[in-house]
Amino acid sequence: MAAPFRAKRLDLGGFINGRVIRDHSKRKAFEQFEPERQALRYIIRNTTLPQRARAQAQLQLTQMHAYTRPTQIKNRCVAGGIARSIIRDFRIARYQFRAQALAGELPGVRKASW
Amino acid sequence: MQNMAAPYSRVLALAKAQCRIFSMTFNPERLRLGNKILRQRLRGPAFAAWYPKKTVSFRDLQDTYRPLGLTMFDEAEDDREEAIQMYNNFSLHLKSR
Repeated sequence: MAAPFRAKRLDLGGFINGRVIRDHSKRKAFEQFEPERQALRYIIRNTTLPQRARAQAQLQLTQMHAYTRPTQIKNRCVAGGIARSIIRDFRIARYQFRAQALAGELPGVRKASW
Repeated sequence: MQNMAAPYSRVLALAKAQCRIFSMTFNPERLRLGNKILRQRLRGPAFAAWYPKKTVSFRDLQDTYRPLGLTMFDEAEDDREEAIQMYNNFSLHLKSR
């Protein structure tokens, strides 16, 4: 069990490296376990439930796999896999953004000039 | 003048009816019921759709049409077969010497 959440068959197009695959696996894992996490969070937040049940829910939530945690997800560049300075609307990093925008591949984006 | 404030029971009844109609939780004691968790939308589908999905590749097309007996020209495969052919010819030539 080296990578329990990695898809058996690669389902990504575009730029791929190990870190992109890992982040994608985390996203899929989070999507799969989100209802469970939310249910536990509800139990924890509900003060009318017995204290014991709430404490158990807390424990259960902390025992869940790290990949099911939304804070593990990091936006990465779709064109280069870089994790820093991502322009969210385009899902690419700043240098790729510049290159693609100058090449006219991003509709509606033009270099400012005044 | 009917300008006096409505009695508390009327306000409560109104709030109750409002909650029933808009399917909210009626909670006049303001207890922490954790309902804000249930109201949240699921973020998973949006997160999982960040990277582009795999599209149909040339190899997929080839694999789907192979059972029907339809093959496409594959340059790498052609090169490989040609190289094997040349190698075989060469080894035959060496043996015959």
